[in-house]
Amino acid sequence: MPLKKVIETKKISRIFKNGDIEVHALTDIDLVIEEGEFVAIMGASGSGKSTFLNILGCLDQPTSGDYYLDGVHVNKLSKNQLADIRNQKIGFIFQSYNLLSRTTALENVELPLVYDRTGRFSNSKELATKALGEVGLEDRIYHKTNELSGGQQQRVAIARALVNEPALILSDEATGNLDSKTSIEVADLFVRLNNEGKTILMITHEPEIAQFAKRMIYMRDGRILTDEIIKDRSTKESALKDLELTTEPKE
Amino acid sequence: MKQTLKILKVAFQAINKNRTRSILTMLGIIIGVAAVIMTISAGEGATMQVQNQISGLGTNLLMIQTKSEHKAGINVRMGKPIYKKDFEILQKNAIYMPNLSPLLAIGAQAIGPDGYKSTMVYGVSYDYFYITSREIQLGSFFSDEDVKTARKFCVIGQTIREELFPGQDPIGKQIRIDKVPFTVVGLLKEEGSGGMGQDMDDIVLAPYTTIQNRIFGNRKRGYNMILASALSEDHIVDAKIEATELLRESHKIKANDEDDFEIMTQIELQEITSNITGILTLLLGAIASISLIVGGIGIMNIMLVSVTERTREIGTRLAIGARESDILTQFLIEAVVLSLAGGVLGVVLGVIGNQIIYKATNFYIPTAAYSILIGFGFATLVGIVFGYFPARKAAKLNPIDALRYE
Repeated sequence: MPLKKVIETKKISRIFKNGDIEVHALTDIDLVIEEGEFVAIMGASGSGKSTFLNILGCLDQPTSGDYYLDGVHVNKLSKNQLADIRNQKIGFIFQSYNLLSRTTALENVELPLVYDRTGRFSNSKELATKALGEVGLEDRIYHKTNELSGGQQQRVAIARALVNEPALILSDEATGNLDSKTSIEVADLFVRLNNEGKTILMITHEPEIAQFAKRMIYMRDGRILTDEIIKDRSTKESALKDLELTTEPKE
Repeated sequence: MKQTLKILKVAFQAINKNRTRSILTMLGIIIGVAAVIMTISAGEGATMQVQNQISGLGTNLLMIQTKSEHKAGINVRMGKPIYKKDFEILQKNAIYMPNLSPLLAIGAQAIGPDGYKSTMVYGVSYDYFYITSREIQLGSFFSDEDVKTARKFCVIGQTIREELFPGQDPIGKQIRIDKVPFTVVGLLKEEGSGGMGQDMDDIVLAPYTTIQNRIFGNRKRGYNMILASALSEDHIVDAKIEATELLRESHKIKANDEDDFEIMTQIELQEITSNITGILTLLLGAIASISLIVGGIGIMNIMLVSVTERTREIGTRLAIGARESDILTQFLIEAVVLSLAGGVLGVVLGVIGNQIIYKATNFYIPTAAYSILIGFGFATLVGIVFGYFPARKAAKLNPIDALRYE
């Protein structure tokens, strides 16, 4: 039985018009991501990876081509339907966490459920507590976000991305603001979530973080340059060991 | 509905998070609502006092005076003055007006042994006391006989007594009005001050004959007006018709010509003053409303700052599935809650303010129930109107830009 396609894009292009100048941010991208995959997208800035993520995250619409998210043809949806799709099928993780300040971890994680219109979640507090448990913050649920460290804040954000049981977790430079050791812990958390069956797509410019994924896509000039399976995936242990080697002072 | 409740909670959290700012934002509305309530209530209080005062003149009262017209804002007498002859005709023939009194008014200085006071001196007949139902506290009124013989007697109000005879019994004492000595025979009971500023106790009453002969020194001078009381309230219209007919005859007015005098009943007077005070109340309320609008602009200002400051938050909310309408509702609720809370505090402040004014000046201000409604309704309206623009701005943010906003 073939696995379910979480993402399927057919010849997606995105052109930005600025007066007479047309910028081809994405050109004819075909991509299929199946359930349970853990994909890293790499590329220099300007390679179109952020534009691609915006489209995959239903924050933006392609200029041409078709995009199916978990079987839903996204192109034709209205603004409200897009909002609902984001709410039901996608968990976002941002570089700068984007948590509500002076608000408890629990309330932050509950946030996506505030906008749920399907009524499929009955007890938002219970679900949020559970999600915080999954990221190892069960003893921090009533802490305000400004009382947490960067790594803890990003884990709150990950719990927020998990709470609505999305088909896809989208991470936009999730480790960009974290130190190397915390970055490895967050990447390890992704691996664990992936092992539990979550489909994860992350953008990163750190090769050592991308190395945790199962598949790596390299973009350049709005096209996919390479798309390959990672053979020697990093683990938390190996990455920490490498970190020690590179940071040890030379004699 | 359930969605609205959830958004309501979000809005409350946001207000609570910025407590100081929320209170400062409310301040404009608080002051605005309090101002509306206090000015409207003050207007109502003034109306009530004037009305009471007019009622105090007697519900059967008629005032007959020469017709006057406004010319360039000045009252100009148009018709023939009301003379003694007119009064005598009314007195002789009137059936519906058992009590009639001329009224001669003059502003003069009343001088006593221990003080003096500028006051209004009214020349009236004995009937005046029936017509106006004023009561005596000490001594007595002057009699019909005193009027006929033009004796130099007078009845004074409480304010005059305080100024001229502080702590003394004024009865039997002399006061001088325009160099003419009068003997005080009576002291009126306190009536209280009128809403339009005149003091009903700052008054000297004397026989009209004495005033005419001694003060004006002109027996042929016309009267300021004739006061009359109808048999009963039901006979006011009859009395007015009767007086009109008698005076037209006396003034020899031809059938098709207009009256050269005016007859105003107490009810008409009440209507006129109620119109005047009504306009006054409206005007004051309108001025106070401006402060509410200014408060609303304050809300809009703060909300706009808040939207800019919370751009990232809005972007996040949009990204995780908030619809535009959710964001709009959230910010609109924030504005309305702020202005409503300001409204509640404003009502409290207004009511307390009314009490303070009452305690300080003895001018009773009943807090008009409708002023609370107006203040409240206005505050809500201001919240919606001035909250809408920032809320829409928030809702229309592009999530991609908002997420990257620094």
